[in-house]
Amino acid sequence: MNRRRMLETLGGGFGMAALRGVLQGSAADPLAPRAPHFPAKAKHVIFLFLNGGMSQVDTFDPKPALIKYDGTPMPGPKIKTDRASGSLMRSPWEFRPQGKSGIEVTEIFPEVGKRIDDFCVIRSMYTDIGNHGPSLQIMNCGHQLPGRPSMGAWVTYGLGTENRNLPGFIVLCPGFPVLGSSLWSAGYMPSIYQGVHILNEAVEPEKLIQHLRNAECAPEEQKRQLALLEKLNHKYMARAGADVQLESAVRSMESAFRLQSEAMDVFDIRKEPEKIRARYDISDFGRGCLLARRLVERGVRMVQIFYGNFQPWDNHDDIRVHAKLAAKTDGPIAALIDDLKQRGLFEETLVIIGSEFGRTPMIQNSGLEKLGRGRDHNVPGFTVLMAGGGVKGGCTYGATDDFGFKAVDKPVHVHDLHATALHLLGFDHTRLTYRHAGRDFRLTDVHGNVVRDILA
Amino acid sequence: MRRFACLLLSFGCCLTARADDFFESKIRPLLAANCYACHTQSRMGGLRLDSGEAVLKGGKSGPAVMPGKPDESLLIQAVRRTHSRLKMPPTAPLKAEEVALLEAWVKAGAKWPETKAAVTAPGMKITAAQRAFWSFQPLRNPAPPAVKNEAWVRTPVDRFLLARLDEKGITPNRRAPKTTLLRRVTLDLTGLPPSPGEVDAFLADQSPQAFARVVDRLLASPAYGERWARHWLDLARYSDGLLAAGFDTPLPNAYRYRDWVVDAFNHDLPYDQFVRAQIAADQLPEKDRAALLPGLGFQAIAAGANDQVDVTTKAFLGLTVGCAQCHDHKYDPIPTRDYYSLLSIFKSSKVHESPLVPEARVKAYKDQKKKVDAARELIDEYIQTQQKMLVDVLARHTAAYMVAAWKLDRGEEPDRAGLDEETLQRWVRYLKTPKEHPYLNDWFALMAKNPTEAQVRKAAGDYQRFVLNLLDEAKEIDDKNYVAFGGKKGMKDERTRQYTNIVSLSTLKFYQWRELASGPYRVDGYSAPPGVYYYDPQCIRRFLTGVWGEHLDTLRAEYEALERDLPPIYPFLHTIEDGPKPADGKVAIRGDEHNEGEVAPRQFLTVLCKGEPEHYTRGSGRLELANAIASHPLTARVIVNRIWQHHFGHGIVRSASNFGQMGDRPTHPDLLEYLASRLVESGYSLKAIHREILLSNAYALSTEPNHEALEADPDNKLLWRANLRPRLDMESLRDSVLAVSGTLDRAVGGPSSPLENLNHRRSLYLTVSRTRLDPTMSLFDFPDPNGTIEERPVTIGPLQGLFFLNSEFIVGQSKALAAELARSCKDDRERVTRAYKLLYGREPDADELRLGLEYVSSGGNSWREYLQVLLGSGEFTGMP
Repeated sequence: MNRRRMLETLGGGFGMAALRGVLQGSAADPLAPRAPHFPAKAKHVIFLFLNGGMSQVDTFDPKPALIKYDGTPMPGPKIKTDRASGSLMRSPWEFRPQGKSGIEVTEIFPEVGKRIDDFCVIRSMYTDIGNHGPSLQIMNCGHQLPGRPSMGAWVTYGLGTENRNLPGFIVLCPGFPVLGSSLWSAGYMPSIYQGVHILNEAVEPEKLIQHLRNAECAPEEQKRQLALLEKLNHKYMARAGADVQLESAVRSMESAFRLQSEAMDVFDIRKEPEKIRARYDISDFGRGCLLARRLVERGVRMVQIFYGNFQPWDNHDDIRVHAKLAAKTDGPIAALIDDLKQRGLFEETLVIIGSEFGRTPMIQNSGLEKLGRGRDHNVPGFTVLMAGGGVKGGCTYGATDDFGFKAVDKPVHVHDLHATALHLLGFDHTRLTYRHAGRDFRLTDVHGNVVRDILA
Repeated sequence: MRRFACLLLSFGCCLTARADDFFESKIRPLLAANCYACHTQSRMGGLRLDSGEAVLKGGKSGPAVMPGKPDESLLIQAVRRTHSRLKMPPTAPLKAEEVALLEAWVKAGAKWPETKAAVTAPGMKITAAQRAFWSFQPLRNPAPPAVKNEAWVRTPVDRFLLARLDEKGITPNRRAPKTTLLRRVTLDLTGLPPSPGEVDAFLADQSPQAFARVVDRLLASPAYGERWARHWLDLARYSDGLLAAGFDTPLPNAYRYRDWVVDAFNHDLPYDQFVRAQIAADQLPEKDRAALLPGLGFQAIAAGANDQVDVTTKAFLGLTVGCAQCHDHKYDPIPTRDYYSLLSIFKSSKVHESPLVPEARVKAYKDQKKKVDAARELIDEYIQTQQKMLVDVLARHTAAYMVAAWKLDRGEEPDRAGLDEETLQRWVRYLKTPKEHPYLNDWFALMAKNPTEAQVRKAAGDYQRFVLNLLDEAKEIDDKNYVAFGGKKGMKDERTRQYTNIVSLSTLKFYQWRELASGPYRVDGYSAPPGVYYYDPQCIRRFLTGVWGEHLDTLRAEYEALERDLPPIYPFLHTIEDGPKPADGKVAIRGDEHNEGEVAPRQFLTVLCKGEPEHYTRGSGRLELANAIASHPLTARVIVNRIWQHHFGHGIVRSASNFGQMGDRPTHPDLLEYLASRLVESGYSLKAIHREILLSNAYALSTEPNHEALEADPDNKLLWRANLRPRLDMESLRDSVLAVSGTLDRAVGGPSSPLENLNHRRSLYLTVSRTRLDPTMSLFDFPDPNGTIEERPVTIGPLQGLFFLNSEFIVGQSKALAAELARSCKDDRERVTRAYKLLYGREPDADELRLGLEYVSSGGNSWREYLQVLLGSGEFTGMP
């Protein structure tokens, strides 16, 4: 029985006008799939978050000047960094032109390098505050103070979700990034838009999703329970009055029943052929990428993967640790891109790879560090990669100065990145608003410009 | 001055002067009045409209003006509202003649007088119209209106509601059944369902006062405070810790604030005192101070002074003063200076610990803690010294270890004289793994060539020499850094370390050194094992013999003795107090602290003062602020509206924390005035307001739909029926499950504890984290405690269904309930009836009884499964 007919039955012969009243009087289904402002290619987002801060000058923003000036202070006026910083330090790794585009990529991301023609490398990112907390808040929620909805919440609020048996916004992390749940918060929005956080060290679905199975109740028994529940709820609604939200509350049990089998399936990466699994199953991050693909295939709106607990990419005292992290990141990203393409999902999935900020081209040898061979936080310039869903592949956008410190050519603020991501999903970021405390709020606050040059 | 400049210019060119005149008299005032709120320093859309250059440069969408071409100018398109996106001003269109003026100006070349620097928007002037805004006015005390159907009226509240319904010709619903009403009011006031005994008593009481007696009973129960405190804690963004990077910084005594709020509701602390306590309890008269001091937790859990301004104004005044941090408020008469005036008050205060024990006990604890810390440090230093020496000692046998390891690998018995067995085993393992540095390359190359013992001994000797030099080099570096830090003191100071550049070994040498001498290296996502010569504090003891070992034992014994004598930390309150130098701060222009503007004297919001605001001079000025807020009519309106909101599902003003221009207007203005006046007359008794509301006929209506009423008022704004609650909030839901299963722990107050299956305390007492929001709590819409929340959105999703189908909690509680029913009732019929009484506060009808009996007749787990269905049903998880 569809909803309308059920309401008519329950309503005991209301006219259609009254029925409309019932439907408008209650909040509409908050997760129903919705069309954006204009047609767009991207329908899903996979945000690969290398938390801690990936160094741009060691990965996707080559700076030959660092070789020349290695070990000397950065020319020009003294600049302010978060902590005492020393001389310029060359990257320990070589860069080589890759793909048809010839974009130079570091040797620690060889597989991403081979696929660089699928990516747009934004080399002129910048943000506002040099500390992890505020920068994470801005990158994830568009504002440096906590309490605002995250990008995933905005996207799910804007588009709803295509698979009602799964959450619309899923966050995977083997632990918690800095600031934890406030990074996938729904803020002042209904919490249905909040990211469902899954600790993805485990492989078994029942360990990934809370309450997925009932050890004491077979599916047949649950069906019997649901049949009774339906009868009781109908009687209740006939007495109390039909209400859309009440109806969805009582329906949530049926969706949950279906979710059990769907989640057991989608969250079980052991169902992948060994050959595919092997490409991902080298790290928590890798398994996260595989899960992300499986979830997006099933219609989940946005999946965000945090690389690891706390902030692994925060290599203050030894930048060479980046190679070890990249080794666990590079292959899975490549596999994800290949798989999305092979399944025809690449064009409708926006892939973003980035951090809360970059790292200084200078060495950080302050006394807090065990080994003075690392890099500090860098706010004025860093790199973010985008691919898929309407992004122009094989291009770079903007540039930092000769040393990779500051974005000087076509700077892109985090707000601009958000505006662009929303645009790729079909939204005018100035019109995707949520009314709270008497004001229309936006992900981009009062800022943000779409970076049109990177649109395909 | 401006006129004078124009006059001078007019000697040069009459035309220019006329254009300038036109600009100054017509265009500039028009722009200033309509555009400058957003298009000067704010640069909304990247656009400034306060200089000719800026206008030509335009904003994000391009130049605002094409001189001579009005049709092509974005500015004109925007004010004509013909542009697809830009329609300005956003509030209301300009008048046709104003648009015409702008068109004429652009057509004539958009001349901007050259001589003057950009004029910024004048400081915000609060207009008479703004002052006359409804929510800022003195309280009216309107007489309850006459209505047609006098018989329907039970309390004055009913008159206000019925009068509006009469106007619209809507007939209100009939009253809900008594059982429904009892369940509604009990959940509303206590967050728990009524017990079967309470149901029976209410059904049996046929007197007209029956319901009033129920309300009195509920208001007097401790559960009332537990329930209503939580509404307040949503506003106060209560949490058991402060937001910090990894985990919350614990606020171990935050629960004392929570318990104080519970107590305040239970004892009906007058609301004006409740307000004062949470702003300035430390400055209230001595006799009240101790009892009210915990209220300052409201401020102490803040994330700084800006947060204090924001939450204080939103929670008490229902104003979004926080919007004025970077610019004058866009909609309400709150100049940015007012924001900084309030900030000056809070910046003149600081977070404080108020001990709840005599000073002597505080001192005793602190003194002992100091001794414990010093003893700990002594041990650490001694061990570190020994660890370093041990590395030096062992390193001098490096060649011998390598040769012995080589022999062992070949299956030969080595000469173990002078070698430590564990260290030898470590060497065997160490030489089997590839290295990131080149210093063992020669050794590995030699190994590949089936070497003679002499060759091995030589290579090992070479390597030992290298190692000893490396250790020397490392020591030299340590010495240099020691000097750079300024000795031991600087080394211990985190800030000094942070801002001192030090020297270090080259990266590859460092790796080699780490593999020999360092403790384990751990960063997130990567770790390296400890060095072969490194022994951790637990293991080092076996190398220390004689007095060296005894010394460590003595140090450890001393430490343990001191720690045993350390009492548990004394209890204290998280509060604030005035800082040493209360002072007026300055406006931070555009919210930038480094860009100071005019002085912002400590004073109240201008628009809420009768005349000019009074400059606060008593310390921080918090007490004066507290009194101003507590006595303002706005404060009374806001709180009675919040109470209404939680009884009816929506406030009379729906935007419960925004009583400003952009907030909603009251659906029943006179009713709001009446209730606010009653609050003041009752001596700020919140319980009196509950009674005013709950004893009305309107509160008791059924939720049934009604065709005509739905047509006329689909959103039920006029309250012709009770609003159905599709799902209880997280606390009521969990507490109800525990209550009906007979497992609820009713202990009141005390420290928070995390949500887990064995924790059966009321949900109010669950730990609230700012970084690890409990997933089950947030699944049922528990709000993010990083912000103030006036109304929890209710969301429904399949994961909630999973919780009812499968969670250990629900399964366990169903079992407990089944066991209880098996014990207390004689047969299944009685058990089904009892279950309905417990869960729904009513008896089952014949059909429901039949369905229940059918279900449980299959035996096995069927009772548990049946009860699980009842717990997950809409009637239990919602509220009619």
